[in-house]
Amino acid sequence: MEAINAFSVSLQAVWNDSGFSAFTLGNGIMILVGLLLLYMAFVKEFEPLLLGPIAFGCILANFPNTGFFGEEMNVMKAINYGITYEIFPPLIFLGIGAMTDFSPLLARPSTLLLGAAAQIGVFVALGGAMLVGFNVHEAAAIGIIGGADGPTSIYLSTKLAPHLLGAIAVAAYSYMSLVPLIQPPIMKLMTTQAEREIVMKELRQVTKFERVVFPIVSTIFISLLLPPIAALLGCLMLGNLFRESGVTDRLSDTAQNALINIVTIFLGTGTGMTMSAESFLRTDTLLIIALGLVAFMGGTAGGLIFGKLMCKFTGGEINPLIGSAGVSAVPMAARVSQLVGMKSKPGNYLLMHAMGPNVAGVIGTAVAAGTMLAMLK
Amino acid sequence: MEHSPVTTNPLIIMLINMTVVFIVLVALIYLIKLIHFVDPTKEKPKPAQAEEEEPLVAVKSEGAPPPVVEEGIKPEIIAAISAAIAAYGFSGQVKAVHIINHEGTPWRASAKFNNLQRK
Repeated sequence: MEAINAFSVSLQAVWNDSGFSAFTLGNGIMILVGLLLLYMAFVKEFEPLLLGPIAFGCILANFPNTGFFGEEMNVMKAINYGITYEIFPPLIFLGIGAMTDFSPLLARPSTLLLGAAAQIGVFVALGGAMLVGFNVHEAAAIGIIGGADGPTSIYLSTKLAPHLLGAIAVAAYSYMSLVPLIQPPIMKLMTTQAEREIVMKELRQVTKFERVVFPIVSTIFISLLLPPIAALLGCLMLGNLFRESGVTDRLSDTAQNALINIVTIFLGTGTGMTMSAESFLRTDTLLIIALGLVAFMGGTAGGLIFGKLMCKFTGGEINPLIGSAGVSAVPMAARVSQLVGMKSKPGNYLLMHAMGPNVAGVIGTAVAAGTMLAMLK
Repeated sequence: MEHSPVTTNPLIIMLINMTVVFIVLVALIYLIKLIHFVDPTKEKPKPAQAEEEEPLVAVKSEGAPPPVVEEGIKPEIIAAISAAIAAYGFSGQVKAVHIINHEGTPWRASAKFNNLQRK
């Protein structure tokens, strides 16, 4: 009798401690969302490197009684610190910097203007978010989705609206993977066939001196002007300096391979872990996803409009299609400019020209984030 | 240090931010020009005879037929390959793009590589 009693009490204790006893409908829905994101990442190959860990983190976050965010330290809590204390986004930027070639930008610096113009999407979405009831901090964090820059989106939302981090990160990375579908119709709608057929002049050769001095000078200038983004921009330019110096190949290799891969796993999983049912299953999430699309479309249109202006003022030397690459989805947006240009005129290679505004967009989005932090934080 | 926002009017926020973004990036344009100006390693401008030559314009490939592409290769990969080849001055010379079968033993792969090098 005693054995049966002990057995029954133990079974009850196991049941009470299990996730099933506290499992809610919301957890079930979020696990399905996680599975859908996994499908998009691994079957449809939409940004699988990031969406994969985000999706799995989302599934993990919705198991009750795991104690991931309890008092005691554990691996998931440690990963979450990397996001809460803004450690991962700058480290990702270190790797991006080591992978980025600023030569197209240095060869034609005027394309920085296209990177600036494309930031209009950020502020269109910010206005839209405030119109539908978000406060100014939340609206700024949502707007930055339009910069098409995942690490900056995560960085800004952690600082201004941490409770929206999951929805903002998912929207940003989902739309970044959908750039080849979102941008071409807008590009065709806003440009004429003659504009799309413009063949741009070959870029001049950039010297090693320029490639080494640029990351140093720009870090000093921008970090002094906008200290809130010194970590992001400093890491971007440090990674680039590793690449361009020619004497730190091992550091460059580590930054653009091992380090960025490790941090990507942690950043993705940690971001997914913020997608608990309580914080994600709200009408706000749907609004954020809709506003993210507005932001992307606005950014693309802003870059194209400025591209058309530059085309006019330079007497037709600039193909406006490179303007859409001002959103900083590197190098996806530049590839889209190349694809649309080549469809209009086979043999018209815009890729290198579009890389200028594309990397300018990364700097532009970081500057926009820094300005908003300075104004709102 | 946290403080309350200066303004919550989205239009004013947009105007201020876009102005700052443009000012910073325009300043960067001038910094890049300054770096180019002071660059001690840059090539000296060529003599007048060279200036008379028409500037290089990527028009060699005008009307070049699109390459024959094997099924299963994404258009963006074709775009990247074509652009990389064009960057080396061979615009319009991509005739076809095929997937090289990597299946088989490492010995087979090594033999293929050696054959390619001999060619």
